[in-house]
This record gives sequence, C-alpha cells and structure tokens, in this order.
Amino acid sequence: MTQESSNRMFSGASQYVLDEELAKIVNISMALEMPLLLKGEPGTGKTMLAHAIAEALHMRLIVLNVKSSMKLIEALYQYDTLTRLNDSRFGDSSRDVSNIEEYIKMGKIGQSFVTDEKVVLLIDEIDKADTDFQDDMLDVLDQMEFDIIEIDKTIQAKNRPVIIITSNAKKSLSDPFLGRCNFHHIAFPEPEMMNEIVKVHFPDIDRELLEHSLRAFYKMRDMRNIEKKPATRELINWIRALKADPDFRIKDLVKGNIPYLGVLFKKSPDYAAALNSVSRMRI
Amino acid sequence: MFTNFFYTLKQVGIPVSPTSFLRLQKALNMGLITSVDDFYTAARTILVKNERYFDLYDQVFAHHFKGAELKEPEEYELSEIARSMLDQWLKDPKGLARSMGIDEEKLNKMTPEELIKYFLDRLKEQTEEHHGGGKWIGTGGTSPVGHSGYHPGGMRVGGISRNKSATKVAMDRRYRDYSQDGPLTQSQMGEALKRLRNLVPVGPKDVLDIDNTIYQTMKNAGEIELVFEKSLKDRLKVILAIDNGGWSMEPYIGVLQTLFNYARAQFKDLKTFFFHNTIYEKLWEDPPRVKKPVKVTDLVRLDPETRFIIVGDASMAPYELMAKNGSIHWEEQSGEPSYKRLQFIAQTFPYSVWFNPTPVNEWPYTRTINMIREVFPMFELTIDGLEQAVNYLMRRN
Repeated sequence: MTQESSNRMFSGASQYVLDEELAKIVNISMALEMPLLLKGEPGTGKTMLAHAIAEALHMRLIVLNVKSSMKLIEALYQYDTLTRLNDSRFGDSSRDVSNIEEYIKMGKIGQSFVTDEKVVLLIDEIDKADTDFQDDMLDVLDQMEFDIIEIDKTIQAKNRPVIIITSNAKKSLSDPFLGRCNFHHIAFPEPEMMNEIVKVHFPDIDRELLEHSLRAFYKMRDMRNIEKKPATRELINWIRALKADPDFRIKDLVKGNIPYLGVLFKKSPDYAAALNSVSRMRI
Repeated sequence: MFTNFFYTLKQVGIPVSPTSFLRLQKALNMGLITSVDDFYTAARTILVKNERYFDLYDQVFAHHFKGAELKEPEEYELSEIARSMLDQWLKDPKGLARSMGIDEEKLNKMTPEELIKYFLDRLKEQTEEHHGGGKWIGTGGTSPVGHSGYHPGGMRVGGISRNKSATKVAMDRRYRDYSQDGPLTQSQMGEALKRLRNLVPVGPKDVLDIDNTIYQTMKNAGEIELVFEKSLKDRLKVILAIDNGGWSMEPYIGVLQTLFNYARAQFKDLKTFFFHNTIYEKLWEDPPRVKKPVKVTDLVRLDPETRFIIVGDASMAPYELMAKNGSIHWEEQSGEPSYKRLQFIAQTFPYSVWFNPTPVNEWPYTRTINMIREVFPMFELTIDGLEQAVNYLMRRN
C-alpha cells in the first residue's frame, strides 16, 4: 500500500451508518492488505459495507456474486471460443483470429487485477460455492496473480484491491481460507444504532412513527418460535410500506394492529406464528 | 509481545494460528494499534475467525487485561458474598465502609435487605481487579474490592460500544449467544437447525445415474465415464419425548419443539410425547399429560429404526427411578420400576439418545443421571451436544 492510500481512512458513507469497531476493522484490514470476511445475519448490511467503502474512498466497486455452481475460472477469465469460431468462419470482424488473447474476457476478479486504479472487490456470499472454489481462490488472492492457460500468460494485479468477502454461514468455510482473512461478525444493531440507520434511509421520518415502529419491530424480533427473524432490510421495507399507506395510523401500532406482516416475515410458518402472537401483543 | 495472551487463547480452545499472531505483530509494528480498544478489535479480527469464539475471546481478554474471573461468579455465589459482607458489616462497620469507599453514615441508614441489595449491585458492577480467583469467596469478605485495577483510558464512541472501554465491552460478553457451550437458546436456533439437518440417511453412492453418465461420456469424447449416485433411502422417523414436568425444563421446551418442527419436513414422521421426570407405564401426546396417553408397551409396534430422542434433566429422587411404584403421581402406579421401562425403550429402539440441559460437569453429582446414563447415551443440550448426538444417531452399526 502506498503512503498516499494509507492516509485514506474509512470513516463512513452517506447511506451507511458505521460503528466505530467496524471502522477500525476495515482500516486494519486495508493496512494489512488482508481480505476481510464478514459474517452475520442476512440483512445486517454486509454487502452495503462494501458499497460504503467504495463510496467513501472514491474507488470503483467490482462485485462478484458467487453462485453455487461457480468454478473459480469463471471469476478469473473466460475464453470465448464461440466468438472465435464464428470469426474464423465468417472473418468479418476486426479481431485477429490467430491471436487467442483477443478472445479472453476477464471475469470479476480478473477485472479487479487489470484495472489501473485501486478498486474495491466484493465477493458476495462466498459460502454458496463449494470448498474447492474457496481453496482455489486463496492462492489467487494470496499471490495476487493467476495464469491464463490458453495463452500461457500470468496476470498480475497492478493494484492490490481492497477485498471484502461476505458469508451467510450456510456452509462453514475451510480453515486455510479463514486463516488468510480477517474476520468480523456483524451483530444485529442495537435499537439506538437502528434509529440512526433508519434516519439515514428516511431523513424526513416522523419521530413518533420511528419510535413506535422500532419498538414494534424489536418486540417482533423477540417473539418466540420464529426461525428467520426480520432484519434491517425488512425493517426498512416495512417502514417504507407504512409510509406509503395513506390509511395507516400510528395508533394502530400502539394497539397491536400491525399491518404488512408479510414484509417482515417471509416464511409461512413464521408468518402464521407472528400473526398469532401479534394480535396478543401490546406495545 | 502478548505471547501469553496468545497462548491463553489457544489454551481455552480458540483455534489461533501462529501466522495470524505474526500478522498481529505486523499490525502492531505498523503503528495501527494505539490503544487497548484498538488492540481488542484488531486482535479479534485477526486472530479469531468464528463468532462462536467471540465470547471466549471476550472472557480471555477481560481476564488477561483486567484480571477478571474467567468464569463469572454465579448469582448464588454473589449472594453468598453479599451475605458474608453483611456479617462483616455487623462486626466492623467502619472497616467495610472504608474498604468499599462509601460513607458509613449512608450504610447506617439502610435496612438489612437494602444492604444486601446494595452489596449485590456493587459486586455485579465490580470493575476493579481481583486476585486469588475463587478463594476470596467465603473468607468473610474482609475486602472484596481490590486495588490497582487496570483502566484502559479513553472512551469509545458511537455505535454498539455504548461508550465503554474495551475491557468493559469484553466483560459485557455480547457474543455469549454465539458461543458453543451453554444451553440452547432461541437465538441459536439457526445453528442448531444446521446440525439437525445432518439427520438424514446417507448411503454409499452405488446406483448408476444413467443420464449423467451419458452426458459425461459425451463430454469425455465417447470414453465411458460412469457416474454413481446415492440410492434412495427412506427418511427417518423420529420420536421426541420431553420431560415437561419441572420448572427446570421450562426454558427448553419451546426451543426444542420449534427446532424439531422446523426440521419436520426432513423427517418421515415426527411424534412428540411428554412425561414428568421419568417414563412409567405411559407417555402422553398432550402437554398437560391428561388426555392422550400412549402405553409404553405399545411402542414396540413402531418401526425399530425410529430415532428415539428423550429430553429431560434426569434428576429426581432415586426411588422414582428404581422403586416399583415410584411415580410421584399416584395414578401412575404401574408395578414396574421406571428403570425397567427405560431399558425396554432402549432395547426397542437401538438408536436412542437422552439430551440433558444441565451442564455436563454437574452430571456426576446426581445419582439418577448416572443411572440413566447406563441405559441411554446422554448428551448435553448444547450446539456441540446436538452435533455429537446427531452423529451418534446416524452411526452405522
């Protein structure tokens, strides 16, 4: 890391409320040039953090959405054989068919290596892929280089990207993989913190609505027998729904008459359980 | 630097690697860490790779940098201390007032109850350093408040940290819910469910997958490539028998039922029965144990492959287990000791386990737990215990 960039410390962004602890962790990871692995309940802003870092440091964000069937090579580069075959058949393109390099397309990790500027690379939901993917990726991120077998060329990263990796903990990650990352678990925000978060999303929100909806929300999170608790994302959408509904009165919330439960509870047993206990709830 | 800290982490069972320790040194050398608060955060993010260990880390950190007890004194211990402090107060009011740094006059005005409560509060918010571990409990409480406690300076700002210093935050044990030991709670549901998902039959891959074989063979340019898959196996049947009698079981019943209900789809059949303390002639399908009795002897008609899971604290008077008419409910006098019934169930269902919510280190002190452990393999009702039990239930003979 150059002197110039180490002065660039991350301290929050316009759409993201950062807690002190996390800011420290991000800065330490950037200074140590280590990938940062973020775990936490869905909807606690893991992905948002990468966006916020990119915005705050004025870097471009490259997102690699990991899919279950993904092979590492797709994330690195693709050799577009079909276009080459097509070109050689018709010969009406400007590309040189004998030059394979012209048919190599960079994947997301590849892109983050070859760009001239320093970028933020977000590897989203790494746990979806199988362990092979994770293990293969390690070397690439460790060495900051990979080989393109077809043209026998090694691509080296011009700038080491800031790497953020998120995981929903669907599968456990392998030990060597964890060994090469810094780790943080984003806990669910406390009510005061949540207050701030909602205000960032709805700057003009009515104070009474904010207070009551948050209270109802945390009550509902505390409800028993719920498998998937509503998270920040659900809360934001729910408040959006409440605000959009002209018939909605804050009094309803106080009375325990809570609309749009479907926004908060996405699993049908949860929804049924919530519906059942909400009617008996007093806020 | 901080080698002892590192080794304490290792000792308590957090998987920390030397590489990560070196990386921490690097961070220290780079001048990234300027305060204890920074160190707390940095060391955690670099050394600890799983939130399950955050709680242990907090404990070690608080212990190491502050000398807090590794295990928090239990509530009853605290009240013991408070009581002995009250004794001390009666003997030597001046001395105690001085050592606690409070006005004697103020203490004089309080009733004994108020005093106890006051002492308790003081003990709970205890932040000074203590030496000698558990020893100071019961020494008459001459001076429970030590000196020269380490105070990391500086305030933390914003967010979750609530203006506390790192050690204070560590002592909060915010991550207790993520830790692996300690009984199951609602918040561990997801983790627990993941363990339970392993309760599915696995066979060897011994059936030819024709479609895939053709596809792979074509891909292989005609060279035959055989693809095998697992043969279909029937899903498991599960019986869950819960002791819903005593208050000791109260916190776990809801959690357990939710847990198994969510896992229901993966079972072929899930039956839930209830009993009190131990099983006699009957089990009940309804929680109040009145309406729908099921004779234990009838269980023999069920599939012996059924996984029989009993949940209970297994703590009772020995006669309840061993005597012929041992039940504390008069209508349950069945003429056969409960111990025999349990043996019968264990023989009928070779795949059976007993979950016990009491911590494993307390088991040896309860006679009935030891006796029941001879009949059923017993597991602690924790994430780890659940994992072990699932492994046990899925074992191949």
